[in-house]
This record gives sequence, C-alpha cells and structure tokens, in this order.
Amino acid sequence: MFGWKSLLRRRAPDAQLDSELRFHIDKLTDENISAGMTPGEARRRAILEFGGQQQIKEEVRDVYRIRFLDASAANLKSALRFIRKSPTFSVTVILTLALAIGANSAVFSAIDAILLKPLTFPDADQLMRVEQYNPKTSSPLHLVAPVRLEDWNRLNSTFHALTGYYWENVSESTGPLPERMTRAWVSPRFFQVWAVAPVLGREFTPDEETLNGPAAALISDRFWRRRFNAEPNIVGKNLRLEGHLTPIVGVMPASFLFPNREVDLWCPIPAGLSYGPPRQNNWFTVIGRLKPGVTVTQARANLATVQAQLGQQFPKTDAELSVGIEPLKETTIGDSRRSLWLLFGSVTLLLFIACANIVALLLSRSTQRQHEISVRFSLGAPRGAIIAQLLSETFLLALIGSGLGLFLAAAASDIFRSLAAQLPRVEEIHLDARIVVYSLACSVVVTLLCGLVPAIRGTRSSLSGSLAQSSRSQVSGRNPLQWLLVGIQVALAVTLLAGAGLLLRSFQQLGRVSPGFDSNHILTFELSMNWSETGDMKKLRQFTDRILEKVRATPGIDAAAISVGIPGVPFRYQTELKLIEGRADTEPKIVAENRFVSASYFAAMRIPLLAGEVCRETDGPPTVVVNRAFADAYFSGATVIGHHVQALNLGYSGPAEIVGISGDARETGLDHLPVPTAYWCAPIAEPGTFFLVRTRNAPMTMAETIRKQIHEIDPARSVYDFAPLEQRFSDALAENRLRTILLSFFAATALSLACVGLYGTLSYTVNVRRREVGLRLALGALQGQIVRQFLLQGLGVSFVGSFAGGCLAAAFARVLSGMLYGVSPTDGATLSSVVLIVLAVATVASLAPAIRAARVEPMNVLRDE
Amino acid sequence: MPIEKSDLLQGTLDMLILKIVELGPVHGYGISQRIRQISKEVLQVQQGSLYPALHRLEKRGWLAAEWGESDNSRQAKFYKLSAKGRKQLASEESNWNRLAAAVGHILQTAE
Repeated sequence: MFGWKSLLRRRAPDAQLDSELRFHIDKLTDENISAGMTPGEARRRAILEFGGQQQIKEEVRDVYRIRFLDASAANLKSALRFIRKSPTFSVTVILTLALAIGANSAVFSAIDAILLKPLTFPDADQLMRVEQYNPKTSSPLHLVAPVRLEDWNRLNSTFHALTGYYWENVSESTGPLPERMTRAWVSPRFFQVWAVAPVLGREFTPDEETLNGPAAALISDRFWRRRFNAEPNIVGKNLRLEGHLTPIVGVMPASFLFPNREVDLWCPIPAGLSYGPPRQNNWFTVIGRLKPGVTVTQARANLATVQAQLGQQFPKTDAELSVGIEPLKETTIGDSRRSLWLLFGSVTLLLFIACANIVALLLSRSTQRQHEISVRFSLGAPRGAIIAQLLSETFLLALIGSGLGLFLAAAASDIFRSLAAQLPRVEEIHLDARIVVYSLACSVVVTLLCGLVPAIRGTRSSLSGSLAQSSRSQVSGRNPLQWLLVGIQVALAVTLLAGAGLLLRSFQQLGRVSPGFDSNHILTFELSMNWSETGDMKKLRQFTDRILEKVRATPGIDAAAISVGIPGVPFRYQTELKLIEGRADTEPKIVAENRFVSASYFAAMRIPLLAGEVCRETDGPPTVVVNRAFADAYFSGATVIGHHVQALNLGYSGPAEIVGISGDARETGLDHLPVPTAYWCAPIAEPGTFFLVRTRNAPMTMAETIRKQIHEIDPARSVYDFAPLEQRFSDALAENRLRTILLSFFAATALSLACVGLYGTLSYTVNVRRREVGLRLALGALQGQIVRQFLLQGLGVSFVGSFAGGCLAAAFARVLSGMLYGVSPTDGATLSSVVLIVLAVATVASLAPAIRAARVEPMNVLRDE
Repeated sequence: MPIEKSDLLQGTLDMLILKIVELGPVHGYGISQRIRQISKEVLQVQQGSLYPALHRLEKRGWLAAEWGESDNSRQAKFYKLSAKGRKQLASEESNWNRLAAAVGHILQTAE
C-alpha cells in the first residue's frame, strides 16, 4: 500500500504539498479559534501568519526540480572552460581518443556490416548453401548436378525450395565492341528462394524456363544504370548475347548482388539441363530456403535421408555422396571472421592503451588541480559534485574525441575496400546510426575507465590534509599507480607489436618462397566462353589451338598456355584417382589435385620436366603429367611413367597414361606446400580457363595487342581481366595484407602512445622531485648519477612491462595460428626483437626527462623555496 | 527576543528539525510548535524555511514521510527519522557540541 501511495505522491507532488500546507493553516486556524476569534477572522489571521504560500511552494518545488540537468549544464560549461584553459592537454587527449575510438568504431563498422547484420535478403537466416561432396576427397568445389537438384527438390520436406545457378562471362555485342558481361544462369524457383522480385518488369515465365523456350534476361541495377542510364522503358529492349538476341524482361533491385557484386544479368536455365552424363555433370551452386521454423540440423538430417535414398537408386553415382548444408551467411563470410575479430581485439587493446595514457595524464593533472579542488571542498561542495565535474570534463573530451573519430569510421569503408577489395560484404560497410551509438558508448566507457580513478583519487584526500600539503614542501612523489599504467601500456604495446611482427615475418617468408615456377613476366587474362560450347569438344579444341597459336606468334611473346586455375592462387580441384593397373588395398588411395592445362603450360611457366615427356595434345588417348610430390607419395621411388590413371567424378576424362614427372609447383597457393598433382593435357578453353602468356617486357604492355589478335579470330568474344600474375598473388593475399597492415598500424600507434605515456610520467616525476634533485646536486651528487637513476626508473618499468607483454603475446599466440606462414606463433626471434625495439624506444623516451633532471640548477630550486 | 531564520547558523535548522523528529513521527505544524516551545519562544521558524528544509531532508533520505491521521482525524504528513538521518543527527550534534565548546572556551578565556 505504502509503495503504491508513494508512487502516487511522486506523480502528484503539488497536490500533496497543497494538503500538507493546508493542514498547517488549519491547525493555526484552530489555534486562533481557541484563542477566541471568530472562524472567519481566525482563518484570515492564520493565512496571514503562514506567509506567502506560493513562494513556499516554489521553494519546495526547487528541492525536487531535477537538478541534474542544470548541474550538467554548469558542469559542461566549466568543462569547456577547462578545455580552453589547457589547450595542449585537451588537444592531446582529444587526438588520442579520436584515433583510438575512431579506429575502434571503424573496425566495429566492418564487424557490424560483415558479421553481425543479416544478409540483405528477406528472412536471410532461412537461406542455406547446399553442397554435394564426397567425404573421401577434399575438393571444396562442391557443385551439384542439375538432375540431383531436381531430385532433392522433389524428395525433401524441410526446404521451401532449392535453386541452382552458375555464372559465366559472356560477350554482349549490340555496341561497337563486344562487351564482357557477367551472366548468372538460374534454375527455376530462383525467385521463390530469394524472395526478391524485379523492381521493373517481371520474373521469368514457366515457358522461358523450359528447354528451347523463348530467351529472356533480367538485368542488374548496376548494368541498367551504366549501360542504359536508368532508362525507364527498358523492358522489351534486346541484348545480343553470344550472337543471340535476348529481350530484357526486367530489372532487379540494386541490393540484389547475387552471385557476386559484378553480376550484370540473369537468364533462366531449364531444370535438369546437362551437357554430359547427367548425374556426374556437377555445375550448380545450390541455395535453398528453409521452411519457417525448420532448423539447420533438421534440414541436414532430412537431406541425408534423401541422398541415401538416391544412393540406393543410383549406386554408381550417388552412393558415396553426402550433402552439406551451411547458412548462406556463414559461407559468404568465410574466413574473414577470424581476421576481423583479430583486428577488433587489437584495436580494443589500442583503446585500452589510450585510456591508460589518459588516466596517467589526468592523474598528474589532478595533482596540479589539488588546490582548486580543496578550495571547492572548503566552500562546501559535496564530493559527488566535484567528481561529477571532473567526470564531465573527461566526458566532454571523450565526446569530442569520438566525434572526430567518426570521420575515421566514415572512411572505414574506403580503407577496407582499398586494402582488401575481396572482403565479403565490403560494400555494406558504411556509417550509420548503429556506429554512432557505438562510438557514443565507447566515449561513455572511456569516461568511466579514464575519469573515475583520477576523479576519486583527486577528491579523496581530506580537506585538512590537502590544505596543509603544499607541493613545495613535498620531498618525493611516489606514484605507483602512474607507473603501473605505464607498465600496462608497454605490455599491451608489446603484445600488439608481437602480433604485427609475426604477421610481417610471415609476409616476408612468403616473399622468399620459391614457388616452383617463374611468375615474372606472365600476363593472365580470360576469354568469354560458354558452357554450351563444351558440347562440341573437337571444335573447342581447334578454336583454343588457333588462339594459342596466334598469341604465341605475336612479337614480344615467348609462350602462351591455358590452365584451369592460376598457379599460386588458391584453387582446389581434388579428386580420387584410380590406378588402372590396380593397387593393393593396403596402399593409400590416390588423391590428387587436378589441373587442366595445355602442353605448353610447363614451358610457359618454366616448370621443369624431371622425367619422361610432356603430355601429347593429340586426339588419341589422353596423357597426364604428375608432379614429384605425386610420385613420392604414391609410388615411393617405383616407376610411375607408363601407368594409367582415371579420375573418379570427373565425367569426361577417360583413363590416361602417365607420361612424365614435373617439378613441384605451388599450384594451390604460395603459402601452401606443393601437393600431389595431376596435370591433364586438355587444350580446351572452358568458362573459367585462364590464359597465361610469357611476355618479354612488362606484361601489361601486351594487353591491347593480344586483345586485337583475338578480335581478328573471333570478333564476338570479349577478352577481359588482364592482370600480371604477380598482381593476382597480391590479390589472393588481400585479406592477409589487410590484417598485416592494420595490425602493424595499430601496433605502431600503441608503441608511440606507450612512449608518450612513459615520457609524460617520467617528466612529471622529475618535475615533482626537482627540489630533491637540486638538493642532492648541491650536496655533490654527479649529474651522471641523476641521469642514470631516472633512466633506470623508466627502463625498469618498461622492462617489466615488456616481460608481461611477452607472456601475454605467448598466451595469445593461438589466435594467430593459421594466419602465419613459415614462422611459429611463439617465434623467439620475433618476440625478442620486439622487446629490443620497445626497450630502445623506451630509452629514447626516458633519456630526455632524465637529462632534464640532471640539468636542474640547485640554486634556482632552493631559491624557489 | 525571538531569533529568526536568517540569524540561525547555516545548517542549524536542519539539525533542529532532525532532533525534534527523533522524538517521534510529527507533522510540519508540530515541528514548528515544538521548536518554539522547547526554545521557550526564542527560536521561531518561518514556514517559508521549514517546508523547503523538510523536503530537502526527505529527499536526502534523512527523513521518511508518511501520510496519517492527526488528532482530529485530519490527514497530515508525518515525518520520522530514518537510519541515515539518525547517523547524520549524531554527527551534527557532536560537531555542534565541539563548536559550541570551542566558542565558549574562547569567550571565557579571552575575557
């Protein structure tokens, strides 16, 4: 009851106050009546005696008025005055915080956009990537045969729908020159799965989704704007794709960037279409939408049952296959999750260092302000009010800092894009309300972290104590807290430096790797190809031969080759190989990486042939070259040449004779050791085949010549994506570079902050102890002794901090595993050189204050007294 | 001659109120009556100071208030001392006594 009443009272304080005062007047009236007055007179006198009711009410209301706002305004005003009064201090703090909070918000904006936010499709958490794979091999190319996709659609009970797509580059020739465009072929149910509709025009009709039905294309917003200037009457216009007229039936929304952000158009593909043995012809990337309420686990169990059923029905092709289901978001994000959290962790350490730095600054500042604080105390200010004022100063600094930091966060998208364009969802990084709130939260946390300790300590000393104390009569200032903070900064800086050092060493090691091929002077490019062309292999082979001949004959070009997959750029195509001659069951199964290359590949890439001969490009039985790793792993010294192998699950390759052994090349990535590899000589360009050309001069200078040569052979093809091989390496390492560059930047900032902290604290100590130093010099101490004393104090703390930082780095080394190449996470050389660097910088930072201490003029100090 | 509010030392009124309330729950009118009676009409608290002071003390948590019936069954707001208020009163009393003793000592010695 009382609680309810008190609630009411809080809501109607005025009415309560009225009756409280009325009661008083009533009592006075009673008093007057008993003194013999008439009731009317008694009341009049009572009111008179009571005095101005309105004034009393106003004063009482003042008691309750939320003083907070007034006080805050006053505090902010005084904080502004404080900032104006000490510009150097304030600017230091603001810039430190702008950098620390800004970098933190920038990395957070990437984490938010890439990891936290759902994908930009309706109910995106229902979208799953579905793959078929053979658990016995480890190829990550888990494409699905279109017929199997249809089976899954028919038999499953957990998916709303499953759809497949693949994409290829196609040349569009309504313009003066063929233009390369990215076309996605999408199977029926595409729109059902994505739940996205065209913004203009219509979806595909069932007619268009049947074999030999009318052609139709939906175009992307990007293409619509680029090519047609966002023309509203676009529907019905024709494109000429590979020579076929294709009408545009609609435009997709700008946010729909699937399969990738380069996509220009979508065309329907009939269900179950196949260019080879239907159950072995795997080429669809499959996306499914779960029914509402179905979990991933349920879907996995359901599709496993479905696939087991298919395995019984088609034992030859389906028995060994499993189905993998992962949320689309997970597969989109991929490995960048770890890099991003690593960056966020390090940028948060940086923020802590900045805070420790500022705490130290504020502590020395509040000692200087001791006098001001004690005066305020003696004037009757409660401690809470003083703490609030000190905190609002810190808060104002943090607020300005985080405001400036937002500029850094706003640039985050550009920074990330320029460092790692391949980062998934990078286009979704932008400054929004969430980031602003996040950096506001940062500034509140910073205020509490930085402001609270100095404010409490600064107001702790009792009134009498601080009035009695005068800095002049102080002999020696010991400030263990300040030194602890310096130690923490050094320790955290060492941790960050160690991480950056390890990543840098990895990069250095990668640069020293001998890849097994010569990547200099290699130009790579692609040609628009079409999967339907693979229906006539003979024609395709002739075409590829003509292109290679023509390019090879060009002056300035030494060699030309093709390969599915670029050497040194991660690409896996692993399958199991069957030895036709038979193999004991006890021996390990042959699993190898497959590369489809022209015979000229080895010469062009300068991969040495160790035995036998290069595969023959004849129409006869196929031949294959294996690398030394293959021979060592599966034949251990025995004769390899002359054996026959057949790739399982590679529909169109029959048994092939092994005719040669090549040297080991790092085909699957510069940071991967060579794995057993089989080179199939198939001089056939397919979609996704790369042309590799060895040039005499700078590779890019040949690009236009090559483009013209190919245009002469086939004017309808577009030639695109020219890039030197070395640049492709660098693109492949983009994420690696992103984290190395950013972490190094954070570490360098951390080290400079720690040094500023060390310098500041030592300078402060020297300042406080000037008198003592002066006295000692007067008594005959040598300058060298003074320098050594302060230097050792600075170095001692740095040493302890470095040691702690080293331990911390060793403890966190696990975080980096998998990101390092050629260096162990607890590499002694890296750690010790980091510690040496830190100690060297710490020496420099300590030397100046130490020397200043020794230059103290004894007479000046003593005269000050 | 009665002493009015402005003559009272800053904070003294608060201490007097706490002291009166210590005796038992009492309303504003009662407090002003008792201060007058106990001080033998020397101290007279103006309502203009009393009520703001009461609400200030209540807000600080030194006084607790509750509505109840007064002698002639009228609703009145009764104040009583909280635990925090009791502590505050004790410290103010001891301060006051020290001050009074010190001042008295000076007056006597200096004569």
